[in-house]
Order: sequence, then C-alpha cells, then structure tokens
Amino acid sequence: MDLLLAEDDAILADALSAQLRRAGFNVEHAPNGPVAEYLLQRQGFDLVVLDLGLPMMDGLTLLKRLRNTNPTLPVVVLTAQDGLESRVAGLNAGADDYVTKPFDFPELEARLRALLRRAQPAAAPADVEIGRLSFARETHRATVEGTALDLSPREWTLLELLVSQRDRVVTKEQIAQVWSTDGGELGSGNSTEVYIHRLRRKLEGAALTIRTVRGLGYLLEADPAAGTG
Amino acid sequence: MRDGGLSLRRQLLLWLVLPQLVLWLAGGAATYRLAAGYANRAIDASLLQASRALARQLKPMGNGLLIDFPRAAQDVLEADPKDRVMYTVSSPPGQFILGNNRVPAPPPSIAAPSVDRPYFYDGEMRLDSDPEAPLRRVRVAAIYLSYGEADTPPQTMLVQVARSSTSREELARGILVDTLLPLSGLIVLMTMIVWAGIRAGLAPLARLRREVEGRAPNDLAPIRLDQAPRELHALALALNTLLAAVQHTVATQRRFIADAAHQLRTPLAGLKSQTELALQFDLEAQLRARLERVHSSATRSAHLVSQLLTLARAEPESAIAHDRTRFDLRRFAQELVAEWVPRALRAGVDLGIESAEDDATDVQVHANALLLREAVANLIDNAVRYAGRGAEVTVRIVPGPRDVVLEVVDNGPGLEAADRERVFERFVRVGTEGDGCGLGLPIVRQIIEQHGGHVVLAAVEPHGLLARVTLPRAS
Repeated sequence: MDLLLAEDDAILADALSAQLRRAGFNVEHAPNGPVAEYLLQRQGFDLVVLDLGLPMMDGLTLLKRLRNTNPTLPVVVLTAQDGLESRVAGLNAGADDYVTKPFDFPELEARLRALLRRAQPAAAPADVEIGRLSFARETHRATVEGTALDLSPREWTLLELLVSQRDRVVTKEQIAQVWSTDGGELGSGNSTEVYIHRLRRKLEGAALTIRTVRGLGYLLEADPAAGTG
Repeated sequence: MRDGGLSLRRQLLLWLVLPQLVLWLAGGAATYRLAAGYANRAIDASLLQASRALARQLKPMGNGLLIDFPRAAQDVLEADPKDRVMYTVSSPPGQFILGNNRVPAPPPSIAAPSVDRPYFYDGEMRLDSDPEAPLRRVRVAAIYLSYGEADTPPQTMLVQVARSSTSREELARGILVDTLLPLSGLIVLMTMIVWAGIRAGLAPLARLRREVEGRAPNDLAPIRLDQAPRELHALALALNTLLAAVQHTVATQRRFIADAAHQLRTPLAGLKSQTELALQFDLEAQLRARLERVHSSATRSAHLVSQLLTLARAEPESAIAHDRTRFDLRRFAQELVAEWVPRALRAGVDLGIESAEDDATDVQVHANALLLREAVANLIDNAVRYAGRGAEVTVRIVPGPRDVVLEVVDNGPGLEAADRERVFERFVRVGTEGDGCGLGLPIVRQIIEQHGGHVVLAAVEPHGLLARVTLPRAS
C-alpha cells in the first residue's frame, strides 16, 4: 500500500512515517508542496496524507491541482486549523477526510483504512469476524466457532446492521428502516426489544455483546478479552 | 450622569419654566394694580359726584348756612347696608356741622387745601356709632368750599363723603381672579407642553443610554442611532470610533491567541507521535513510565490548545459566532450522544439519553450548531471524565413553552456547592485528578450565554452532578 506523506514538520513526519510503516504502509515523505507534486506525478500512490500548511505550495493548492489529474486518489488532510471554514474549504477542494492535529495515531489509521475500503470495494473482505462470530454476507451465513446460527430474515437483517455499524450506536429508527426496506411487516412497538433479546440468546458464546444504549438504540462490540478479527 | 449633578431634563425645565413663572407673577401684579386703579377711579368719580351734590345743597345765608338736605336724600345715601355712603359737613378746624362725625379727617398732607378742588384719600372708620364696631377701610372724597359775604373774610367749609372700600376691593379681586385664573391654566398647560417637548427632544439621549447600558461588556459592535439628531450623531460617532479601536485591539489579541494555538498544534502532534511511537518499542519499565508521563502531558497540552481555540472561536467577534441555523435540539442531542457512546463505553460509563417515548415533537432552536456541539460535548466529556467508571450519564431534553432545557446528569461523586459556581471560571479545576484543563465549563457558559441561554450546575440526590442548560426555543 503506497502512501505519500506530505508534511513539513520534520519531527512529526519522522514519527508519523515510522508509525505508518509499522502499520504496514509503504511511505514516501515530501517535505514541501513542489516535492509532493513531483512525487505524485512520478509515482502511483494508493493514498495521500496531506498537511495543509506546506511551504512553497500550500496543501489546498496542491490538492486542487491533484484533483485535475487524479480525481479519485484518496486524500486525508492533516491540519493545525480546525475552524469550520477551513474544514469546508478542505472538503470542497477534494479531500476525502480531515484530521486535526494533534491526533491519536489509531484514529488516523482507522480513517485511512476506512478510506481504502471505500476506494477499493472489491478488495474489502466480505467476511467479518467479531469476537468468535464469523459473518459472511455473500453466503448469508453467520457462524460461531464453526456452528451456523439459525437466524430468521429479520434477525439476519438486524445482525447485519449491527455488524456493519460495530462499535457504533444503531438507533431504533435505523432498525425500523432496514426492516421496512426489507419488505417485512412492521411489528409492534417493542418488537425491536424482542428481536434483540433473541439475537443475544443466539450469540451467547460468540464473545461479543449487544449493549443497550438508553434512549437511543443498541451497540455491538467484541468482548475485550477476545480481541477482534 | 453623576448623583447630585442636575439632570439635563431638569435643567432645561427650570430654564424654560422659571422665567415664565416670574413673568407671569409680574404680569399678575401689574394687572392687579391696573385693575385696582380703574376701580378707584370709578369710585372716586361717584364720590365726587355725591360730594358736589351735597355741596350744592349748602347755601350760605349771611354768616350762616342754609342746608337744604331732605331726610329722604339722607336715607337714600345711607340705604345700602353693604355699601354705605357716609357724609359729613364741617367747618374747619374740626367744627362739625352736619352728618356723620366719624368720617376720618383729611390727612396732614393736605395742609393748605385749595378751594373747590376734590381730594381723595383712604382711611378707617367705624361704620356704626357703637364704639365696639370694627374699623373698616373707607375711601373718602373731600371738597373745601368757601362762602361768606363779599365784605366779610371768607369762611371755609369742608364736605366729605366716605364710602366703604369693600366693594372696591371686591371689584379689584374679581378682576384679579378673572385675569389670573386663565393665566394659571395657561401656565400649567405651557409647563406640560414644555415637559413633553423636553422629553421628546431628549429621547434620543435616553435611547443612546439604553443602547450603551444594555450591552454585554464584550459586545463591541457599533452603536446604532438611525434617527438621532446631529448633536447626538457626533457623540455616537465618537463612541463608535472608540469602540472600533477597542474592537481592533481585542481582535488582534484574539487572533494572536488563535494563531499561537494553531502554531502549537504541529509541534504537539510531533511530540505525541514520537512518544506514541517510542511506547511501541520494548522499553525498560522506568523509561516506559517516564515516557508515558511525557505522552499524557503532551495529550493534556493538546487538549488545552484545542480548548483555547474553541474559546477563541466562541468569542462574539469570531466570524462563525453569528452564523446560526434552525435545527431540532432533540435530534442534535441524539446524534451527539450516539457519537459519544463508544468513548463513554471505553471509560466504563453508561451514557444514554432520556426523553419521553411519546413526546417526539421537534424542539427547534436557533443556534450555531458547531458551537452548541462544543458546549454539549464539553458537558458530556466532563460527566464521563469525572463521574468515574461504572457511573451512569444521562442526557435529558425537557421542552418548555418558551425555552428548552438540556440536562446532563451523572451519578458520580458530584461537586461541593461552593465549587459549583467556581468551576465556571477559567483555569479553575477542582481536585487534581483527570487531565482537564479548566476551560470546559467556561467554554460552555460562553457559548450558551451567547445564544441567549444560561447554564447552572446542581447537585443530584443521593450523589451526582446535574448540568442544566436552558436555551430559548426558536419561534
């Protein structure tokens, strides 16, 4: 995975390059705008991490020029500015995501990976593993340590939503929406609770938890001890 | 306006009304004198007529006098009890001949009287023969007549006719009242008109005062005076020039703070990245502990810098502070809480929202969503940070008729009553735990008050803290 890091601060660039390399990226570093532009023209990158405050040619200009020749290359903008205006300007200029300095590396990495998945949908794994649960969308199969779960269509839709939004809150409205687009009849008011209850029973031993978030909905997360897939 | 100093309004009123009052009094006095003069002249004429008529009845007969004065005529003269006419005929010095001997003698100023010329004077006398009767003011006409044969030395006779002054005084008083009553009404009316005029004239001044008084200390926007008179325009213009200068200075300072904070971010990001990286290597335990402290210190500095920037953004002069939209606070809170749930779970805190199931109506507010988000996020962050592992944090929306209340409640240890107000001051931190920087609640207050709302902290039974934000609903 070839990544261009355009960042003028040497200490940050040094540490960030090392962290990105450890995370499995093939990192090229550009200390200013013209060098970054030159590298972008010469070499095919999969991903760009771009500081907005580059010397000689600022990041926004570089981004606009890059978008003329390569409109699809995923770009994450790094900036010391976080005002609404500069955020909007960055996204308007064609950035795919926006990270404010200083940041936690795991957060940056997560955003980079999410961008890559979006950019290369074919490469994204259809199978998801959370805890001891394997979830295969293609084959409509959910297994816990090899044992297939017997899920009704509604339970399947619900689990699919929770899995796709893992570690994030899934609201009752979202659940009602996927059920209604699925064509199933709308249940009574507390039917969501009933289905969640059934799912929890079926997922016992899968080393994951469906948490109830008061007033909002549910959240699926892997149990900490089991690690994530 | 200082206490003790005369208000402009009172000064104007004094200068406009006092001279009028003096002129009015002088005019009244002059009118009275004039009226009294006319009244006297009329009475004097009638007295003179009476005394001449009386004198004509006195016919000298050799050395004596023939007085042809019928009783009926006397009765007519003295008939009216309210306005009696008294007469006396005497031969000076003091030789009473006829009539009423109580009529006052001519004043000494008429020492050498001329014959046939009438004299008028005021005097006092008892109208009745009873010595206990009160003295009354009278007007007297006196004529000296001379009689006698051509060969004998002429003798002088004095005819006096007196009349009570009561009617004359009544007449003068009547004239006075008739003149002064409409004048008084006029002066009252005039004062009212002057008062109204002063009020209207000074109204722009009062508006200017309200405009200046009613603004927040940090509101440096120019004073708006659209229909002010020229004199006030100059004053407002001078004030606006001053305000603009102050605003410029403040803005420069703020920009410096914001720039400094921006400039700090990149080195802090470098520091954080370096320590994060170093902590991934195998390290000696002591070194690792030190490095972890460096890392947490860098994280705290980063947090401080970003809070400082938020505060700078929340200032009224900031460009985005006035950029407001209408949105549903309920949905806004739901989205914000949903975003915070994973972080709260990592901190072992059960974060949720509470609102009546059946009450799903919109609660529209008119606000800057970005700033309001910072405010509510700071409240949630505080609750999650200080309530501690295992605690429950609940965000609650309670719509009222005009306002909407957003509460963030936790069942953590809470705060002492004395600290609950203190924590709204900048850089005040209660306790030494956590990596807060003491800017969270000042940011919240700044943002909420800028939106016309207010925020308070309260205790929760049996323990915990409640942050209550009240915002006006969008009409």
